Amino acid sequence: MIEKTETLPMASAAPTMPAIPEVTPMLRYAAIVVTIFVISGVIALTSGGYWLSNFTQAYCFALALSGCALLYGQLGLVSLCQWALVGVGAWISLRFYHYVHPPFFVTILVGGVGASAVGMIWGLPALRMRGLYLALVTLMLAGAFQTVITVTSFPVGGPGILGQVGASGNDRILMARPGFASSDTAYFLYVAFVSTLAFLLVEAHRRAKPGRAWALIRKSEQMAMASGVKVVFYKAWAFALSGFIAGVAGALLAGLFGQLDAGNFAPTDSIVIFIGTLLGGVDVWLGAFLGGVLTRFVPALLIDFNVNAYVGLIFFGAALMLALRDPVGIGGVLTALAERLYAKYMTRRGQ
Amino acid sequence: MIKIETLTVQFGGVRPLDALDGEFKAPICGLIGPNGAGKTTLLNVLSGFVSPAKGSVSLDDIALRNLSPVRRVIAGLRRTFQQELVVDELSARDNIQAIADHISPTRQAAQEEIDRAMEFVGLTPRANVLGRQLNLYERRMIEIGKTLIGKPKAILLDEPGAGLNETETERLRALLVQIPEKFGAQLVLIDHDADLIASVCIETMVLDFGKLLAFGPTRAVLDDPVVRRAYLGTA
Repeated sequence: MIEKTETLPMASAAPTMPAIPEVTPMLRYAAIVVTIFVISGVIALTSGGYWLSNFTQAYCFALALSGCALLYGQLGLVSLCQWALVGVGAWISLRFYHYVHPPFFVTILVGGVGASAVGMIWGLPALRMRGLYLALVTLMLAGAFQTVITVTSFPVGGPGILGQVGASGNDRILMARPGFASSDTAYFLYVAFVSTLAFLLVEAHRRAKPGRAWALIRKSEQMAMASGVKVVFYKAWAFALSGFIAGVAGALLAGLFGQLDAGNFAPTDSIVIFIGTLLGGVDVWLGAFLGGVLTRFVPALLIDFNVNAYVGLIFFGAALMLALRDPVGIGGVLTALAERLYAKYMTRRGQ
Repeated sequence: MIKIETLTVQFGGVRPLDALDGEFKAPICGLIGPNGAGKTTLLNVLSGFVSPAKGSVSLDDIALRNLSPVRRVIAGLRRTFQQELVVDELSARDNIQAIADHISPTRQAAQEEIDRAMEFVGLTPRANVLGRQLNLYERRMIEIGKTLIGKPKAILLDEPGAGLNETETERLRALLVQIPEKFGAQLVLIDHDADLIASVCIETMVLDFGKLLAFGPTRAVLDDPVVRRAYLGTA
């Protein structure tokens, strides 16, 4: 029989890699706030009109991407209905706004909660299927949404549940922005503020109990269950959070334009969001942020420079090839670089 | 104590377990047999991933058959898998915290249990190291550390020594023998390392083609000519 020992020092012939100085959660949260603050500040000071509108849309896109990245990065689930969920959030917030005229922030929350509920229902197939099948089912849901919204359109303050007005459209009521953010610049900063909160919310989930549960599920569902994780519950949670963020993005978009058009919610946009998610990177918040800017702002830039659409396609094709070659995406590469520099700095400081 | 009664598992025309009976009473029990004998299938039945066609399994007189895998964890059953499944993106501590999140009654209790498990498996200095930076031994220790959370009653270890060198296996042995006394849990150990089984397990069950070949004190079982012929390949 082996003698009992009180302490068991590490014994391994295998090489033990030295620990990299830890980036604390607080530091990660601070990085989100500072990065968005600085970038948004520069945009607000230098852009106006068309560009500011594009950046505001890019931020909404980035929010949709963060939900998509959450599902793919944390659980390996491909959701191709993210932009449709943005549309659902926009519809609910517009409908709520025209009924109740609540403060703008409440409208955003209602849009988020509504889309979250729909996202959970749309996520039901994910409990049984994965990969290509799930991607196809969610893409069909995006198509179904477009069909429905083309017929019903978005509420514009009319009577009834659909909130439509007469054929002339003269009675349309636009959704008002918050009083203190009525100008384009102020509204852009407002969107930046809400985006920061949403990114912090997702990051807080990643670093806490749900994030750990999702990590186990992604590694192995059986192992997750053997660790006491209720797999169905946590998958539904991920879909709910992803839907909430998409709904918030929809409400912010509705606030940007005051009204929305069914043509803005094509299923192909959900595919673009997924591509943007891969380009930006799924494991870090910066991936969603950069992916959103890339997929919304760069096309606007190409149009402004009169670049042929085919050149744009080549640009995105090349970027996608790059993302497939290095799955951490642009955000992942930049974050790894920042972490390496931080580790170097901390090591030097320690010495 | 784990009790198995006339347990039969049927996959189409194949019977990985055939009317198996047995009762693991000793603090550390071994489960051995050639490849395809049904060892992992038995662990899968115990942990709720495979439904038996017939028979029953119980843990400390709690019938497990109608409990979901998660409920079995709450009932005190823990397990590891043949393939090590440490999450690369989580730190050593977070890998263990991931189970404490769901079964420890309070946050403070969870922290205390994690500290105790980390110290027991010798990973306290490596607590903040990411899973992908840990070597195989450390990863195996994480998996054992996870099973020690939440007052386990029985721990099923599926080849915990796979891939470890001699020194590491020696450390593993020293660790395993302490678990029943320090954590109050019964161990059921599957391994192909007969030396590990012989030195750690008090009683051992031998399976062959889903049937019980032998069950009793480990030394006597390993010396049994029938077992040696079927499993160890010598008469």
